[in-house]
Amino acid sequence: MASILGSCLKKASPSSVHFLKSSFLKHVGILSCTRGYADVWVPDKEFVEQYKRPVMFPNEETSQWKLPPFNQRSKVVEKHVQNVTINFGPQHPAAHGVLRLVLTLDGETVVRADPHIGLLHRATEKLIEYKTYLQALPYFDRLDYMSMMCNEQAYSLAVERLLNIDIPIRAKYIRTMFGEITRLLNHILAIACHALDVGAMTPLFWLFEEREKLCEFYERLSGARMHAAYVRPGGVDRDLPLGLMDDIYEWISKFGQRLDEVDGVLSGNRIWIERTKDVGIISAEDALNYGFSGVMLRGSGIKWDLRKMQPYDAYDKVEFDIPIGRKGDCYDRYLIRMEEMRQSISIIEQCLNQMPPGEIKVDDRKVAPPKRAEMKNSMEALIHHFKLYSEGYQVPPGATYTAIEAPKGEFGVYLVSDGTNKPYRCKIKAPGFAHLAAIHKLSKGHMLADVVTIIGTLDVVFGEVDR
Amino acid sequence: MAALRLYSVGKAAHTVLNHAARPVAIAASRTFWKQVSPPDPSYEWRDMTDKAANTIFILEICKGLGITLSMLFKEPATLNYPFEKGPLSPRFRGEHCLRRYPSGEERCIACKLCEAICPAQAITIEAEPRADGSRRTTRYDIDMTKCIFCGFCQEACPVDAIVEGPNFEYSTETHEELLYNKEKLLDNGDRWEPEIAANLQADYLYR
Amino acid sequence: MSVYLEKLRHFRLAIKQHGGIIGAYLNFYRTDELKWGDLIGEDKFGNKYFQNRHYFIGRSRWVQYSDAVGMDYDGSQIPPEWHRWLHYIGDEPPTTAPPVKRSWMVDHKPNLTGTPEQYVPYSTVKPKITAWEPPKA
Repeated sequence: MASILGSCLKKASPSSVHFLKSSFLKHVGILSCTRGYADVWVPDKEFVEQYKRPVMFPNEETSQWKLPPFNQRSKVVEKHVQNVTINFGPQHPAAHGVLRLVLTLDGETVVRADPHIGLLHRATEKLIEYKTYLQALPYFDRLDYMSMMCNEQAYSLAVERLLNIDIPIRAKYIRTMFGEITRLLNHILAIACHALDVGAMTPLFWLFEEREKLCEFYERLSGARMHAAYVRPGGVDRDLPLGLMDDIYEWISKFGQRLDEVDGVLSGNRIWIERTKDVGIISAEDALNYGFSGVMLRGSGIKWDLRKMQPYDAYDKVEFDIPIGRKGDCYDRYLIRMEEMRQSISIIEQCLNQMPPGEIKVDDRKVAPPKRAEMKNSMEALIHHFKLYSEGYQVPPGATYTAIEAPKGEFGVYLVSDGTNKPYRCKIKAPGFAHLAAIHKLSKGHMLADVVTIIGTLDVVFGEVDR
Repeated sequence: MAALRLYSVGKAAHTVLNHAARPVAIAASRTFWKQVSPPDPSYEWRDMTDKAANTIFILEICKGLGITLSMLFKEPATLNYPFEKGPLSPRFRGEHCLRRYPSGEERCIACKLCEAICPAQAITIEAEPRADGSRRTTRYDIDMTKCIFCGFCQEACPVDAIVEGPNFEYSTETHEELLYNKEKLLDNGDRWEPEIAANLQADYLYR
Repeated sequence: MSVYLEKLRHFRLAIKQHGGIIGAYLNFYRTDELKWGDLIGEDKFGNKYFQNRHYFIGRSRWVQYSDAVGMDYDGSQIPPEWHRWLHYIGDEPPTTAPPVKRSWMVDHKPNLTGTPEQYVPYSTVKPKITAWEPPKA
């Protein structure tokens, strides 16, 4: 409306504008004074006279006005407030890889923790359906890339169960020994990084020196420091090289001292206890309901360990104890990991002492390839070699769910075979997935800094969570 | 004093009796479950004073700092990399090489087993009969950016032609430099043959 | 105490090996370390190889890169026969156990990435399809 008026004014001639203005102003009763003080409004006679008679009476307009409230206070206007929502990760160093955690915070207290996963998804399960049984093996190294040989062991045991074969006793002992070395590798990383995330940097340096030596053992055995591709269906790839067992014995005889040092720095330390004790408590009932396994389950006091409950490989031939906790908090789980490492040392020593001589692969040339010397001399062995490395072996139709006690918990492989040389379906049950799913349950009501502790104690690795 | 002695004798007798009774007592057999959770804090006078002393004199912190300090006098475990290098084994799986027979003839006969077994499908082979009638590859490409270094190709090779050599210092600035062709692989083999031959010799009993 | 006297002795020997204070300083500038050991051999590129079993495995063998490369030393400049010894794969250096020489073996090259001599991939087969040549009318 005003713009229309303005445009009208502009279009009209100057004289008419003057007329308009003056008549308008006259109507209002204000005289614009143009003498000395151009902009100063001076009350004129008409204006002053207006107030000589009573002025306040309800006319049609003022009768509409509302009375102010009796106490002179108006209603408070409510503001819309909500909790802060932040992204924890995926680039956060304490997020252990590519975890994106959407945290809803009330001040510094966690109200809701929502893990977003899938950033490391590589479609492993689908890829395995298009690989032969041997070709699918290296994929298992890359699932939980902190406990490589345990994953291979689970897969190999599943294939062996479908094939209905039993492997030589020496292969069983080698698998058990390196399964425990893998457990050490994993727990070293879990404790060192947990401590690092919480603020204790020193144990990381001590423990990674030892981890480096374990990686060297891996390298001497398989040729790769991490992705070994060593445990095969039907045994293991190659025999232990000469001198490796001596060096492993030499190492385990000293590793206990390194653990004692870490124990001395962390276990009694009041800062460590403050940060871990009564943080991330999960009751035994909840732990079962959330599908926990491994250390997370034993931390709550549930006596369950697949190495004892359904022993595989040579675990029924060695003696060891299973540490269990009571309260299900991060401190108990830390103590369990420390004790499991000590038990692993004992298992490795027993394996070294009991290591039987003999073959390391099954003697079935339809499953395990012949030795190279044999392959180069015997036509039959050469044909087997060609068959195994091109077509692979047929596995009888069937399905199996084979689980092992991986360092993080129950690592299971559900393998369906349709009688061809490729798996029909391979479902991988990763322990970290169930543990991560409970992060809301564990971290609700804790401080933001405790979320780091809880991620550390969950010991998630995204290779297996995202698969 | 006599009362004390009597008391201690009683205690000893108790221990002796306890030990003697053990074989016939109904005791739980040894379980393999080990409780590691610390016991609940005790409110005995003695334990409380111990705890208070620990809190006031920061004993456990001093213990931890002592352990940390002791590390200062240990020999550092770090290697000065390009001058000192970490131990490897003959089984190490590094950069791929194509080998030759001592006569200089290339070993690869294009059986394509490595191409078949490669889980990452990093190897591409094309073959033709050569002018002298022998079958050889014309194309042997390895995409080193796809390779997962599982070692299946060298296991599959019936003539030890493709091997994963001991070299791991071949990082490149561009992607295309890692798309190896046959010439590059043969050149690698010609350069690394002294070491590859020695490593195969060292490990032949296990393979 | 004797440990620290031993350390002093090693320091003195290291300085002596590098030819006095100045030489030791220059070497320290280049390698961030002063060590002494027995010269095991020298390869054709001028890299010198040392050993001192006093240090633990991993540090007991080391290389002093050729002066020709200056500060542009690189781990890939070590030829394969010494590579094997330096990585503790075998204990015999090529001076005592020389590898078999064949006529087709070629000299070692360092990693040439980023230089004009770097490897560029190319196809080793004839192209299977060729562009259509329009017939000349």
